Amino acid sequence: MPCCKGQVLTYNGRQVCLHCVVLLALALGAQALTPSHHLSPADLDRLKAFLNQPFTDLESAYYSIVGLSKLGIAVSDEHAACQFLKSQLDPSNIDSLFFASEASQALSGCQIPLSNETRDLLLAAVSEDSTMSQIHRSVSTLSSLGLPVASQEVVSALTTRITKEDNVLAIILALQTASRLSQQAELGGILEEIEDLAARLDDLGGIYLQFEEGLEATAHFVTAAYALSDHVDIEPPLKEDQVVQLVNSVFSKKSWDSLSEAFSVASAAAAFSGNRFHIPVVVTSQGPAAVSHRQPMLQLQVTDILSQPLPSISVQVESAHAVASKSVVLSQAPFTLRDGIFELNFMDSQPASGYYQFAVAVTGDSRLVANHVEMKVKVSTEVAINNMDLSVVDKDQSIGTKTTRVEYPSKAKTSFTADSHQNFAMSFQLVDVNTGVELTPHQTFVRLHNQKTGQEVVFVAEPDSKNVYKFELDTAERKSEFDSISGTYALYLIVGDATLENPILWNVADVVLKFLDEEIPSVIQPKNLYVPKPEIKHLFRDPEKKPPTVVSNTFTALVLSPLLLLFILWIKLGANISNFSFTPSCILFHLGHAAMLGLMYVYWTQLNMFQTLKYLAIIGSLTFLAGNRMLAQKAVKRYRPGC
Amino acid sequence: MSSSVFSVLSKFVAEYRRSTPAKLKVVDAYLLYILLTGALQFFYCVLVGTFPFNSFLSGFISCVGAFVLGVCLRIQINPQNKSEFLSLSPERAFADFLFAHAILHLVVVNFIG
Repeated sequence: MPCCKGQVLTYNGRQVCLHCVVLLALALGAQALTPSHHLSPADLDRLKAFLNQPFTDLESAYYSIVGLSKLGIAVSDEHAACQFLKSQLDPSNIDSLFFASEASQALSGCQIPLSNETRDLLLAAVSEDSTMSQIHRSVSTLSSLGLPVASQEVVSALTTRITKEDNVLAIILALQTASRLSQQAELGGILEEIEDLAARLDDLGGIYLQFEEGLEATAHFVTAAYALSDHVDIEPPLKEDQVVQLVNSVFSKKSWDSLSEAFSVASAAAAFSGNRFHIPVVVTSQGPAAVSHRQPMLQLQVTDILSQPLPSISVQVESAHAVASKSVVLSQAPFTLRDGIFELNFMDSQPASGYYQFAVAVTGDSRLVANHVEMKVKVSTEVAINNMDLSVVDKDQSIGTKTTRVEYPSKAKTSFTADSHQNFAMSFQLVDVNTGVELTPHQTFVRLHNQKTGQEVVFVAEPDSKNVYKFELDTAERKSEFDSISGTYALYLIVGDATLENPILWNVADVVLKFLDEEIPSVIQPKNLYVPKPEIKHLFRDPEKKPPTVVSNTFTALVLSPLLLLFILWIKLGANISNFSFTPSCILFHLGHAAMLGLMYVYWTQLNMFQTLKYLAIIGSLTFLAGNRMLAQKAVKRYRPGC
Repeated sequence: MSSSVFSVLSKFVAEYRRSTPAKLKVVDAYLLYILLTGALQFFYCVLVGTFPFNSFLSGFISCVGAFVLGVCLRIQINPQNKSEFLSLSPERAFADFLFAHAILHLVVVNFIG
């Protein structure tokens, strides 16, 4: 592979390879990104058909004519198109002039009439005060009409507009405009904008790289970047992975909403397949990537983005190793080109059946991008069954075994009988038809099918250390699988694998099984899993055990008894209410206090806290006032006992 | 030993009978009543179990609270403590006693369930 894949800088006239060692190391380890989307021939036809719409106005005519020319085909009726352009042209409008002149360039023998006013109008539009779109269109028109353009003035106008209109679409238009200017002009500043724009791209999952402005902006960026880079002959600062990601973004959409979108995709496709620096390569296999003895050729199509063949390239397999064993089967083998398809006879290396990982390299053009591809190739083969031996073996080995050999695909002539004292045994070998190597496919099943009851039981046959498959049926042990139903069972052998071209379903023999404790053979019922289950009744928590009522009543009485004691003591002490004065405040106080205690009882039985607090506030304040008066009177009486 | 304890006790009781004013004896009788009620409640709980726990708690706390408030009242109206409660008249002490009891009863009845 050419050494200078990375950025190439000119330094004192010598070319210095940067990142060479780094890239080599990366190439050894990492897997390079390859395009997951491109324009297949069907997509290309769809794009061409979409662009080939009848013209509605000058803009749509521009998109159709120029878009189709970029894809390499001409409009159906060039003369009518030219007439349409001339009739729709408005010489006082820059946009109209732009569409007409660009489209007329794409048609052969179409000339747009010019006048001095037109030229003056176009030249006047090139100034710092016009929008970027106006500058782009006027410069493009002047250039396609063959009129002289003051390149330096344009460059300064563009630079000013870039700083004023700092958005992606404006900068892309600036790049396009710069590609139409003279090569002697100072285009370095505008060239640097490519790198700034590339930094603004959004990376989606490492697979897509696009502007948030959408597909059109991304496609126009590709067109403009390569147009300018080709014009000044300096490689654009885009890494290989970025180029592939841009390819994925532009070509992931296969049906387009508008003519302008289709036009942008067509321009980008032309840019990717025709620029001087990066040509993305698309490697696809013709049909599934599978080879076998009947179809030993691995066929690959190697094209560019537009599904066109790449001239003068060579394709070779760098290495091919088996996925399972990692042993290298092929190294540095070239493909041969035949009718535009690259072929390799993989079966010449006599690979065993299975999957192989290929590393394919496309060389021949230094511009190729994503030219190292990894692909998985399947090698299929056919299987043959050898030495199928069926026998009925007695458990205690007293009677000699009788082995019957059956050849595929015929069935054994006699049926085999096995009861609970005997085992039924089967052994066979699976070999590759072409190489004679023993195979161990993924699926080797033995199926016993009872014709009468429709019951079937499937077992797996396992290979032993010598890759001989053995299957033994112990009637006593396995009677539960058969539901102990005796009868004639048809024995089938099923062999299958992804790498086998001939999967096998073979009715080998009939086996009569006799089980002990035979039940009356009944039609197999599906198991009743979906009947309603017994209802669960909710069990409330058992209330806690309470003591018997006698005990609680006794204790209630007991607890109230100290009250009696209190009254007795008080009487003994001589407490009396002889000093009770019948003043209103005194009566009111006692009544209020009694009411408060009564309220407590009512609270316990009926009320809630809020109501209680309300009543308590009322009664309490009354009691307080009365009590205050009463106690004051008492205090006065105490201090002046005479009164 | 027991005789000395007994003689101390009998001396104490005699002294109590002689020197305590009647008012305080009334309050003491009340306190004894509260004490007995609380003890009986506790004894019942130990015997039968704590169901229903909230009722037991509220009853017991009621006794304890009433006892504490009674003790406060007794301290405040004891003429021997007058020097410490210069601004607090016995009437005021009684009014506080009643107010605190109102709140205690409210809480107890709320919790008794």
